[in-house]
Amino acid sequence: MRAFTEPVGSMNWRSGPEGVFEFWSFFSYNQARMADIFVGEKLKDKKTPKSDTKLSKHQGSEMVSEAANVSEKFEPDIEKDIKKAEKTTSREHLPGHTHNPLSSYDYFPDNIDFEIRDREEKIVLFLRKHPITNVKWILITVLFILAPFLLGSFPILDFLPSNFQFIAVLGWYLITTAFILENFLSWYFNVYIVTDERIIDIDFHNLLYKEVSDANIDKIQDVTYKMGGVARTFFNYGDVEIQTASEVPNFEFAAVPYPDKVAKILQELRIEEEQEKLEGRVR
Amino acid sequence: MIPIIDISVWPVVKVFIIIAFGLYIAFALVVVRQVQLMTDTLEVGFEGPLRFLAIMHLLFAISVLIFALIIL
Repeated sequence: MRAFTEPVGSMNWRSGPEGVFEFWSFFSYNQARMADIFVGEKLKDKKTPKSDTKLSKHQGSEMVSEAANVSEKFEPDIEKDIKKAEKTTSREHLPGHTHNPLSSYDYFPDNIDFEIRDREEKIVLFLRKHPITNVKWILITVLFILAPFLLGSFPILDFLPSNFQFIAVLGWYLITTAFILENFLSWYFNVYIVTDERIIDIDFHNLLYKEVSDANIDKIQDVTYKMGGVARTFFNYGDVEIQTASEVPNFEFAAVPYPDKVAKILQELRIEEEQEKLEGRVR
Repeated sequence: MIPIIDISVWPVVKVFIIIAFGLYIAFALVVVRQVQLMTDTLEVGFEGPLRFLAIMHLLFAISVLIFALIIL
């Protein structure tokens, strides 16, 4: 894939308005693609653009329309998708469905289970924080790992005997390992699950504290999603706030990918639940 | 002047380091247990590597303690 592996400067953009149009077409297309890469989404029927360095006006417009199709295909339709998800083969083709265990967005996952799940309950959406939120602690970890080498030229530990110096470095790497584990496990186990009956928030803090809370879909009163800032706009993630009439009044799905889609899925599930109530199909 | 008590500081530092590594092993054990509990709570298909990671972390902590006991 050429996207984001080749610097923009190496492209042969034409000068003038046509060149600007080519650049913008290419950029729009890649932005849609990039969101997919980070989220681990599987969209099989998308075509990879040809690796020609020159793009014609026609190719550019094709890319724009394809990028538009990506977001169009990604529109969830709960009523149809629940039926599709019943068959494993058709579930594979649902947009946003993936088998990647490190994915942040999984629509109708089939390899996920949780302790308090009812037998007939179907998982509609599995969410965790967008992977880009891990960049901060990964950069800090790199600094932690390099610190003994970088500080090697400064006589900080010279007052210690050589064996104590060696143990100090080992102790430093133990702390670094704890830092990596704490951050990775916090990201990995802080998940939000939407089923056809309820929303579940599993929190895991500081390796020592966990909290699992849930609320029925029909108890949802208000759903708000927020996106702001450069990174959130660029990588398409944000917060979804859910107000409920249950014991836990507020749920927050923090920094999840596609907050607009999540809000729409919750809206459709609420409508579905209302219809079930009217038709007397409540479990 | 001859000092009344001649105590080297390094054996004391060694005791503190050993205690610190001992506490770290307790923390590593908690991590192993917590990962086990969390993988029971939530199954995503990555349980094996996670448990392996937690156990490797515990083994690393134990080996550092043993190493410290030997070379200090």
